[in-house]
Amino acid sequence: MQPSEPSREPLPIWFFVGVILLVYGVLVIAGGTLGPVRPTVLAETKPALWWGAILCVFGAVFTAVGWLGRDR
Amino acid sequence: MTQIHLSAIDWAIIGLYFVFIIGIGLYLRGFTKTGDDFFLAGRKNSSWVAGLAFLSANLGALEILGWTGGTMKYGMLVSHFYWIGAIPAMLFLGLYMMPFYYSSRIHSVPGYLLLRYDERSRLLNAVSFAVMTLLMSGINLYLMALVFNVLLGWGWGVSMWVSAASIACYITLGGLMSAIFTEIVQFFLIWAGLFLVSILGIVEMGGIHEVFAGLPPAMASLWSTTGSSSQNAMGVTWPAIVMGLGFVLSFGYWTTDFLVVQRAFSSKDLRSARLTPITAAFFKMALPFIVVIAGMVAYKLSVRGEGSFVMPADPTDATKTWYDAALPLLIVRYYPTGLVGLGITALLAGFMAGQAGNVSAFNTVFTYDIYRAVIKKDASDAQLLWVGRVTTIVGILLSVATAYLAMQFNAIMDYIQAIFSWVNAPLFATMLLGMFWKRTTSHGAFYGLLVGMAVSFSIFLGFKLGLFSPATAHLITFADNPSDMTRNLWQAIWAWLVCFGVTVAISLVTTPKTDAELQGLVKGLTPDIDDSQVVWYGKPAFWAAVAFVVLVALNVVFR
Repeated sequence: MQPSEPSREPLPIWFFVGVILLVYGVLVIAGGTLGPVRPTVLAETKPALWWGAILCVFGAVFTAVGWLGRDR
Repeated sequence: MTQIHLSAIDWAIIGLYFVFIIGIGLYLRGFTKTGDDFFLAGRKNSSWVAGLAFLSANLGALEILGWTGGTMKYGMLVSHFYWIGAIPAMLFLGLYMMPFYYSSRIHSVPGYLLLRYDERSRLLNAVSFAVMTLLMSGINLYLMALVFNVLLGWGWGVSMWVSAASIACYITLGGLMSAIFTEIVQFFLIWAGLFLVSILGIVEMGGIHEVFAGLPPAMASLWSTTGSSSQNAMGVTWPAIVMGLGFVLSFGYWTTDFLVVQRAFSSKDLRSARLTPITAAFFKMALPFIVVIAGMVAYKLSVRGEGSFVMPADPTDATKTWYDAALPLLIVRYYPTGLVGLGITALLAGFMAGQAGNVSAFNTVFTYDIYRAVIKKDASDAQLLWVGRVTTIVGILLSVATAYLAMQFNAIMDYIQAIFSWVNAPLFATMLLGMFWKRTTSHGAFYGLLVGMAVSFSIFLGFKLGLFSPATAHLITFADNPSDMTRNLWQAIWAWLVCFGVTVAISLVTTPKTDAELQGLVKGLTPDIDDSQVVWYGKPAFWAAVAFVVLVALNVVFR
């Protein structure tokens, strides 16, 4: 089997953006559910949960787009 | 004010950011082989990548903190800095100036001055830009350390040295490509980390209409209180906004400042380069949805006298309110564990991307316009690459030194921050004449630029040292007791006018370059762009028109 050619182009920036948004989304959700409670205004709206989920969705989309677009 | 206490997960989010950006630098090291790779990111970016980097290089955390606080003082007028004070210039750059810049295959803005005029203008601009960039970079570092010292209790040296070392690491490794990658990551982190503040602010106020309800007219409108400088807190009139901000300062910055223009140079082709500032214009117009909304919410909370929302005193001058603290106070108010870490990371990323932008522009201008122009004219590509890497480290160290200087002598901040209008306002006249009037000569450009910079500096010093009588001040600014903002705007207008006038006058009595020497550099001697084969929605002119319509609509809605 031929060794694969090393990639000539770096991975698209969208891949890196996706990875960090995804990881941060998970950490924000974890912080909001497992971390120490901070007394905040509008805490009842659970911003860490839904904002973290939005970051995860965007992160997953960007990661997929970046990965599929490599070497294109 | 009470310091923000971070939990382990907040620290993990902040630490991960540093690991991530240094990791990007290490990864991109393998793709940075030549001078073009290091200084121009290989000239292979799409307009999306270059456009977001173009905007992010300008979008520092200082701007976000400063203008959120500024909204508490000036209200909607702050939006002028995002709309009329940016968009027309960005569109003009993309449509009319970029073909001359990009097609001449230069590495820097001073490089255009060399081709169009001569070595003197190039060197004058290169040196002034290099000094300006380093000093601004140092001020940025100092203010970052100040913010984190007051808000988080971090030692002065910690935030300065950690961020400076990280930037030095990833720029030295990956050059402009690293800077662009991290700037785009920063762009998304700013929206991810700070937009939620505006959303939660709107929710607490009871809806977007409630955010604007009950505001005094001077706070709630863009134009209706600019008939007289006494009607608005900024102390400005509409002619000063249109001419000073919308024309001279805005065009001077967005069309000539290499810090932002360098990102467009990294585009893969001319169409992408032209689309770069046009793409960025849409995102620039959206930024008041973070900055102005958050500022309005902070204003309303402070007016209500909310117990937990008291604006602190300025740490450098206890007699003043520290408006820059508005956004961090909102983060503390709304963000639970985890989100606080993300908000702080967004601010850190903003500070560091601004730093990285300055350093990557500095290393390019020093290497191509000072080192190769003056020190070693026959430097090889490998030598330029090496000089670029060394210059990055030296530039960072000089920035840190400037930051320590600012810490010791706080008064120098005013001088350093004013450098921008000394350098860029007259330069716009030099560029405009150079690109659109082939009769402009090298002598005219050099002396016009020199006199324009001197006039700008003299007006600044005159006001700073109180040398002007009220009558002279009125003659310069057309206002009684002009505000700082009015002085800045008119200082830029005069610098531009004088540079323009002197350049034209001297050009008329000196010999211009021949048409053959100006091919590709001047309107009329450059082939028109033929994009007839491009679909309508792929044309820069189409998207510029859309951006302009959006700009007009925003100004009508918030008039």
